[in-house]
Amino acid sequence: MSANSPETGPEPYVSKIDRRTALAWVGVVGAAVVGGAGVVVYGPKMGGEVITRGYGTDPKLTKPEKAPWSRIMTADQLTTAAILADYILPASGSAPSASSLGVPDFVNEWVSAPYPDQVKDRPVVMNGLNALGAKVLKAPAADRAAALAALPKATDKATVDFWKKFRGLTIGAYYTTEAGFKDIGYIGNVARTVDPGPSAEVKAAVEVALKQLGL
Amino acid sequence: MAAEPYDIIIVGSGAGGGMSAFHLTKSGMKVLMLEAGRDYDPRVETPMFNINAEAPLRGVGTPDKPFGFYDATVDGGWEVPNEPYTVAEGSEPFIWWRPRMLGGRTNHWGRIALRFGPLDFKPKRRDGLGYDWPIEYDDLAPWYDKTEKLIGVAGAYPPQNLLNTPDSPPGCLMQSAPPRAFEIFYERAFKAMGVPVIPMHVAVVTGQMEGRNTCLFATPCGRGCAIGANFQSTTVLLPPAMATGNLTITTNALVYQVDLNKDGRAQGVSYVDRKTGLHHSVTAKAVVLAAGSGETARIMLNSKSAKFPDGLCNTHGMVGRYLMDTVGLNVTGQFPHLEGLPPTNDDGQGTEHTYVPWWGYEKQKELGFPRGYHIEIGGGRQMPSMGMGGLVRGDLDLVGDDLRARLRQKFGSTISFNGRGEMIPNDDCYCELDPVAKDKWGIPVLRFHWKWGEAETNQAAHMVKTFTEVIDKLGGKPTGHVETDGRKAISKGGEMIHEIGTARMGHNDTDSVVDQFGRSWAVPNLFVMDGAVMVSSPDKNPTLSIIALAWRSADNLATIAKQGAL
Repeated sequence: MSANSPETGPEPYVSKIDRRTALAWVGVVGAAVVGGAGVVVYGPKMGGEVITRGYGTDPKLTKPEKAPWSRIMTADQLTTAAILADYILPASGSAPSASSLGVPDFVNEWVSAPYPDQVKDRPVVMNGLNALGAKVLKAPAADRAAALAALPKATDKATVDFWKKFRGLTIGAYYTTEAGFKDIGYIGNVARTVDPGPSAEVKAAVEVALKQLGL
Repeated sequence: MAAEPYDIIIVGSGAGGGMSAFHLTKSGMKVLMLEAGRDYDPRVETPMFNINAEAPLRGVGTPDKPFGFYDATVDGGWEVPNEPYTVAEGSEPFIWWRPRMLGGRTNHWGRIALRFGPLDFKPKRRDGLGYDWPIEYDDLAPWYDKTEKLIGVAGAYPPQNLLNTPDSPPGCLMQSAPPRAFEIFYERAFKAMGVPVIPMHVAVVTGQMEGRNTCLFATPCGRGCAIGANFQSTTVLLPPAMATGNLTITTNALVYQVDLNKDGRAQGVSYVDRKTGLHHSVTAKAVVLAAGSGETARIMLNSKSAKFPDGLCNTHGMVGRYLMDTVGLNVTGQFPHLEGLPPTNDDGQGTEHTYVPWWGYEKQKELGFPRGYHIEIGGGRQMPSMGMGGLVRGDLDLVGDDLRARLRQKFGSTISFNGRGEMIPNDDCYCELDPVAKDKWGIPVLRFHWKWGEAETNQAAHMVKTFTEVIDKLGGKPTGHVETDGRKAISKGGEMIHEIGTARMGHNDTDSVVDQFGRSWAVPNLFVMDGAVMVSSPDKNPTLSIIALAWRSADNLATIAKQGAL
């Protein structure tokens, strides 16, 4: 998506979760607007059962079901998350942008989760998104860029914590996808008949390194 | 499936229970196996090639799945629903890993399959500390040979003749996969320090083996293996046992008591069905406990009678005593000289290809701690996880193409050094029944007591010193704060998931619970065939030895049965 349209303000983030899952969530999330092309745009949460349970101690592993807990981020928070995720990892060459890989949905899954680590992260991320949203959602493009560029330089604890956490979540979410594997050069997870070990080129590079170290 | 009456009841289906069932059923005995967990089939339940993006929270560990979403462990981990345990007030921390699944912990174990060495069976003879086993290395060596040939172990190398680090005879091991880039890299630094680096022994089929599939050199073994290329009881031991027609397996059967007849012999066991809550009693000519050291001790302690008011075989108070674990400690380094290597597939054979065996046997006095440790070393370009952000923790200002470039540069440039050391049994480490706490079905639970000794904390401090030295030699820097105080840096009791020694073997009924074949001194048709029988806790990971001991003990039990002495 292009979350930074200069003339009209940022476009709302369009969720990248699949249509079937989205429809299953309609009942719990509330005013989800079912869009085309197998995606949905969420409106604010309006009632419905709130699910706070985890996936349990015996979840199906081969075809994991989507995490069962209700999502808590608002449309504005998702859009802010998309803007920030694409500031951290915009599209580059053949590598897609963070938002196009659904990173905002993942952040939503993370901050909504019932487990202790995620519950601890929730206020850090949510408050950070709210603060950033106030600066970028209705601001001219130049102001948005300035607000984003200020994040890595921030010195107040809340903003520093938010930047570290959101950046870590974005990087983790991005590089755990097939597109991320391609971008970073992970070429494993393929069946092989033998493990031939490193190539001559790799071994030569290691030897150069060892020689530099006097080993 | 065997029909009643059963010759043998085996409690537990992991390394010890699986091995016992394999041998006893092949010896023609009718066996009933009781497993506390659910049925589990790695062939259809293993998420072999799944990527983290498909898992909730990108697969990170949670209280529901502490080792990550894809870890094979079912219904367990550090906490099992409805089945608590306690740690005594004033104790150092102790944690207890339990699964609830057929095959137990063999489904997710680390696959490191090192033999104990000759010194490991006679530690007291060597330095006056701890206790000696009633057997020698040579007593177990033939069973190590058989075990390695049966389960499939890689790690062959020309004989090294290293002290207390046995070379397997020709024909026992398969060839290990070649060292990866980071393994070539660290080897040179250790060798410069005079420390050996040799192929790891791993329970993975890396070559051609009759009746087994060869490793695909991809996917983490801790998820299990759908093709049965690594060792799991559920793929290697239980199917052939079932094929004999002599094995019946009942799952969700939580055994809590060995039942005695009026003559003081075991007549069977009682269990509660975890799903229905109904209690059952089953009978056989002999009972084998292989529930894991903790559960085995718990069953014995809960088996109270007029003859054994403090628990079965516990008139001398030894059941639950001599509880041991492995000393564990990690330091991770980041190495600029490994940055920017050309992409290479480091998935390998599922665990380390090489490792550092303990090298200081002859200088323990000058080192200041009596027992040693080996080093398990991880690294390379592993499948990306949520930890990727850690690579650029120090580069907080980077975004966009600069961030992408830095991540590419640093991917695969960290190496993690993990010490695994011997622990000497001490009087402060044991388990007993909690006087108050009970599980969901009203059965008393275990209460643990733990305290590391100086032998272990000094050893841990030495690990830190070694790891920081090698990281420095390789031009790297530790990735976080390095704790040099061994007492603070050492793992928690139980954390290495090597808890053993609660019903140890010995020379006679005054120094032990069972004999060298796991036969209890007090009840002649009760046998223990898991890690509970171990007398010492060498640095070498215990699973291979548990299997070899169980096979030796099961063979002895089969002989007794054939003689009509049951």
